[in-house]
Amino acid sequence: MLKILIPTLFLLPTTWLTSSKWLWPTALTQSMLIALGSITWLNNTTDTGWTALNSYIGTDPLSTPLLVLSCWLLPLMLLASQNHLSSEPMNRQRMYITLLATLQLFLILAFGATEMIMFYVMFEATLIPTLLVITRWGNQTERLNAGTYFLFYTLAGSLPLLVALLMLQNSTGTLSLLIIPYAKPLLLMPFGSKIWWAACMIAFLVKMPLYGMHLWLPKAHVEAPVAGSMVLAAVLLKLGGYGMMRLMIVLDPLSKEMVYPFIVLALWGVIMTGSICLRQTDLKSLIAYSSVSHMGLVAGGILIQTPWGFTGALILMIAHGLASSALFCLANTNYERTHSRTMLLARGLQIALPLMTTWWFIASLANLALPPLPNLMGELMILTSLFNWSAWTLILTGIGTLITAAYSLYMFLMSQRGPLPQHMLALPPSYTREHLLMALHLIPLLLIILKPALLWGWFAC
Amino acid sequence: MADYREAPLATRPKTLDPNEYFNLSPDYRRAEAERAALRAGLKRQYQLQLNNPHRKELIEDPALNRWVYARANPYNHFKATKKTSLLGALFGVAPLFILYYVFKTDRVRSFNWMCAGLWVC
Repeated sequence: MLKILIPTLFLLPTTWLTSSKWLWPTALTQSMLIALGSITWLNNTTDTGWTALNSYIGTDPLSTPLLVLSCWLLPLMLLASQNHLSSEPMNRQRMYITLLATLQLFLILAFGATEMIMFYVMFEATLIPTLLVITRWGNQTERLNAGTYFLFYTLAGSLPLLVALLMLQNSTGTLSLLIIPYAKPLLLMPFGSKIWWAACMIAFLVKMPLYGMHLWLPKAHVEAPVAGSMVLAAVLLKLGGYGMMRLMIVLDPLSKEMVYPFIVLALWGVIMTGSICLRQTDLKSLIAYSSVSHMGLVAGGILIQTPWGFTGALILMIAHGLASSALFCLANTNYERTHSRTMLLARGLQIALPLMTTWWFIASLANLALPPLPNLMGELMILTSLFNWSAWTLILTGIGTLITAAYSLYMFLMSQRGPLPQHMLALPPSYTREHLLMALHLIPLLLIILKPALLWGWFAC
Repeated sequence: MADYREAPLATRPKTLDPNEYFNLSPDYRRAEAERAALRAGLKRQYQLQLNNPHRKELIEDPALNRWVYARANPYNHFKATKKTSLLGALFGVAPLFILYYVFKTDRVRSFNWMCAGLWVC
């Protein structure tokens, strides 16, 4: 763990001490080496499952895929941001990379934490660099509003979680994830225990986000610069899912009754946000709502607490992280050329930029869960486990899959086919950097097809 | 009339066509000519921007900007009328209760069947 943490920590002096000529190559190389080093975590050979274990941090098959995803994303974020930051003063560029590196550090500590309070503190700490990135480097005036929504929705959800965790600490004496599964359950008055259950879950449900509390997400994703959107969609949403998966263990007997409203919200949210996607004019907003839709499925999979549900949720989280981040990078390539997110203004790009169409195609296919991509594997597992939970969910998830395919197709056709706007200028052709960025997103996604067992969490059997 | 002079081969709008003049009042004709002059000015502006060799960005269309803003900010102008309340209740509130009821009854029923030994997998 230290072999990843120390280089990440030292990315901060690196950004401030390298000369401006070597800043980006150095930051990229260091983060890429960290990412490649983090892949070694996927090798879980211990019997108990916990590797790299010390008093505070450890990795297990649940946190490892998410850790690798967050480490993998940092070089990709730097690649994506290089262009739009090149015109800014050097100190702002260094500050940007510093914020991304601190975010990375907090994310690694959050996913690797074995103690729930450490996870909570890191969960909250990730809000700050993200808030700074959104409000300081966003492009429209609405970024302040977006930052406010983002911060306060998540904070309001997580303050009850702090109280709930402290109550758990009081009763159990420890909050270590290794011990909690074997501790006796928290016994409160009936209504009090329901409130405690809700307090534990609301923070993560807001973060995921669940349909009723998702308003912060389209704002934050749309107003953030590309690296902010990437990290929000790919990793920060998954913090919510991961937290839920960890905490479900201690919430057990209550969950049977309490999950119903949230599963209903999650599944209905899949359909509603999918339908909203079909009516979006703003490309980033479409991708943001599709994230809510996929995360609704993940929430459904986690809340029913079955092995396949958890496995499907974990795989869908990783696959969605890569696919969604790829789509945001593609949207950014459009934005850098036309300086507008409106889809109507960037139509017919297949004529102008045919190579980028390949990436658009693969990313759209990944979004609509085409077999044999891991997105489908995650969705199918969640669908099946939900069907086992109650047969009627199949209607909702089936319609949801149909709508997902519809809006992914809509996004692809709207951006690639159709007439090119008549006042379109000579667009700069796709840079190699952009191709590299897309390749680094989608090739891991394609490679996961060959061995999804790496991402199955505890149930890789 | 207004001092707009259109291009030699351009067609005149219908209301300025001399063949259609006869039942139109002079005020109406004057207004139509002014509107045609405004439109021609806008078209000229667009053509100037379109053919400007030093232009590096897209031509800004204020109507598109207004439309995009309107599509992106519906909540600021939301009003709770009968129709919107009905839609909200129908799609936002009722499904939640209906789905809760459906899932609960289904699960309770299958749980009872399982306890009674009637559940055939």
